[in-house]
Amino acid sequence: MGFFSKKSDVKKSGAEAGLGITRKYNLAGGKSYVVEESPPDISFDAFVNIISTTSGDACKKMVGLAVSRQHPDLIKQKYGLETTPIYWLATRTGPEVISPTNLGILTHTMIQFIDANPCSVILLDGIEYLVSNNDFNKVLRVIDQVNDHISQGKALMIIPVDPRAFEQKEMALLERNMEKISAKLETK
Amino acid sequence: MKILVVDDSEAFRKVMVELLVRVGFHDTVEAKDFDEAIEVFRRERPKIAFVDMILLGKSGVEVTKAMLAIDPSATIVAMSSIINKKMIRDCMDTGAKDFLLKPTNEIALSSVLAMWSD
Repeated sequence: MGFFSKKSDVKKSGAEAGLGITRKYNLAGGKSYVVEESPPDISFDAFVNIISTTSGDACKKMVGLAVSRQHPDLIKQKYGLETTPIYWLATRTGPEVISPTNLGILTHTMIQFIDANPCSVILLDGIEYLVSNNDFNKVLRVIDQVNDHISQGKALMIIPVDPRAFEQKEMALLERNMEKISAKLETK
Repeated sequence: MKILVVDDSEAFRKVMVELLVRVGFHDTVEAKDFDEAIEVFRRERPKIAFVDMILLGKSGVEVTKAMLAIDPSATIVAMSSIINKKMIRDCMDTGAKDFLLKPTNEIALSSVLAMWSD
């Protein structure tokens, strides 16, 4: 069955080489963060910065897993990621692809990664796409399930959200169990 | 504390200066290329310089090298819209203290300034 065959695909991730630069985003482990933005620049910057730097916390070095609507090759090229697993949300087939309608595999991939890598950071980019392919409540259930695992350990999750794509009530539900990050002004 | 922003895009410099003002750093100067950067750096002696790695003409690595030859105590923060690890390492090897991904934001900028502003 597809759901279970995916289990063996998620391996313990190798850490990205440190760049000797400042940890700019001090996000606490055991929490999930929602970033209201479009495009997801702050989320990617935070994700890449956290996995490319070290901190004095319990998790000195963190490993990452990214799920995105952007193609993995583009992400690897832009952000210089060499060892981080990146999954593409798309209706194609391939080893790095997760179908937007297969929420079971998506949930399982993220949870298994967190279990295998206690000091990990998950970037879940593309929830607007997930919602356009599924019922909002089903997507919320995925986030809640992963969030339950996050809150039991030291991992953290970053979810960029375009607030224009959601009703006020949906935004409130999304932010219910997560911390909100807002960067008041961005350079273009 | 004086801060220099080196970028060939006038629009980026303008927004970056606005961002610096927002996070409490009002004393800023700007430059668009190597020659102007070195001239302004020599004249104004900023404590921190944000230098775009990809400039018209000489690169940000060369700007960094030249600035540190003038004032080895200056803090150079490299900037780029792509994370090219080789370029970042070259820049850090040259003496840059940190790296900032463009476009940047208040959180990232404040962290870098908190780290290097005194």
